[in-house]
Amino acid sequence: MVPFGGWDMPLAYPAGTIAEHLACRQAAVAFDVSHLGTVRVSGPDAFDRLQATLTNDLAKIGPGRAQYTHLLDPADASVVDDIIVWWVDEDVFDVMPNASNTDRVVAALTGEGGPAEDVTATRAIIAVQGPEARERLEAVAPDAASVPRFRVRRFEWRGAPCVAAGTGYTGEDGVEVAVPAAAAEDLWQALLDAGAQPAGLGARDTLRLEAALPLHGHELGPGITPLQAGLGWVVAWDKPSGFLGKDALVAERQAGVARKLAGLSTTGRQPPREHCPVIVDATPAGAVTSGNFSPVLGHGIALALLPPGITAEATIEIEVRDRRMAATLTALPFVRRRAKGN
Amino acid sequence: MNVPDDRRYTNDHEWVLADGSRARVGITDYAQDALGDVVFVQLPERGTTVSAGDSFSEVESTKSVSDVYAPVNGSVTEVNNDLVDAPQRINEDPYGAGWICEIEMNDSSEYGTLMDAESYRQLISA
Repeated sequence: MVPFGGWDMPLAYPAGTIAEHLACRQAAVAFDVSHLGTVRVSGPDAFDRLQATLTNDLAKIGPGRAQYTHLLDPADASVVDDIIVWWVDEDVFDVMPNASNTDRVVAALTGEGGPAEDVTATRAIIAVQGPEARERLEAVAPDAASVPRFRVRRFEWRGAPCVAAGTGYTGEDGVEVAVPAAAAEDLWQALLDAGAQPAGLGARDTLRLEAALPLHGHELGPGITPLQAGLGWVVAWDKPSGFLGKDALVAERQAGVARKLAGLSTTGRQPPREHCPVIVDATPAGAVTSGNFSPVLGHGIALALLPPGITAEATIEIEVRDRRMAATLTALPFVRRRAKGN
Repeated sequence: MNVPDDRRYTNDHEWVLADGSRARVGITDYAQDALGDVVFVQLPERGTTVSAGDSFSEVESTKSVSDVYAPVNGSVTEVNNDLVDAPQRINEDPYGAGWICEIEMNDSSEYGTLMDAESYRQLISA
């Protein structure tokens, strides 16, 4: 167990990080991700409050759907948090920030029309992920197993009111289930009994890195904007409500970004690590934001913030504890989900 | 945690198994368990002179990097090249196939000054 954002979380179960990682790519795993916050925003003006605050455009979706979005710092368009919004009912939104950012999100979304209530402690969230995730879930909670990608659905499990969403953080297909805390242990056990392998924080991190999904505090955070992170698609520039941080972000877009997230691959097994300097054509150019050994590819991979416009011809090196390893610019994601029918 | 009686140990969780003046070195079951899945080992080079207490190898897992310290004074005579492609041997068999290197000791009597298995068990249960 390790401390993470105020929670004690399992880094790995007895199978170990690599086995858990590969099980998610090849079969199905279950993560306890109860550390994600749930901020319930409700009331007749809930839509307007969210729409005026967060970057993405809720008008593009509707009740029963989920959307990835950002909360920006009005001063410099830094990403205060990256968030999944579950639009549960007409006037009910479950906004899911990162563990340590929940208070900031509550503050930003509390308005005159109604509260933004931190309900994190009332429920657990179990993420079932992998190409066989839905098959494993089918045996336990068929209503959750059939929720399509980026859709949200209420269902009951053994009488407990739950919410399922076709979302995740692994690059695989899967479902995340919010379950009342009192029923969480039974649901977890039922999923393991159905054949999902338990997976910990270690595998969650290597999986999201292969999928090039950003982690707040690494690829997003103070000083890093959505444009630098390569997530411009999360920003609805033209929605009438605007969003927090729009002026600063528009200014950056007009000036051009000074750095941009890039993918790097090495040939050896040695993991590049966060903060390792990246040298481009013999000049220090930036640093690794996340790096590790890729269990699927069998070599080192890294995300790094680098000046834009680096070409494939550039000589790139990553400095790891006074040694330099050659790296190549790599299209993201490093590992792409296998095509499936759904 | 497995702590075989046939060898000696350091405070930094290396094990040492001597055959005359030659000492085989690896990391303990306790150390591999704390590290998690090992994905890379920076092996020392053959012929390297090492001083007891110096970092002379690195073992990296998905979560962290850990130095390996020379338990004795001497020079590296053999390294376990199997670990280049199969570093997981350290997790699977830390006292056997997961050995890291062999050191020719300058003074074989150093071996007797290292911790015995019972003392190491006390260290890791403290």
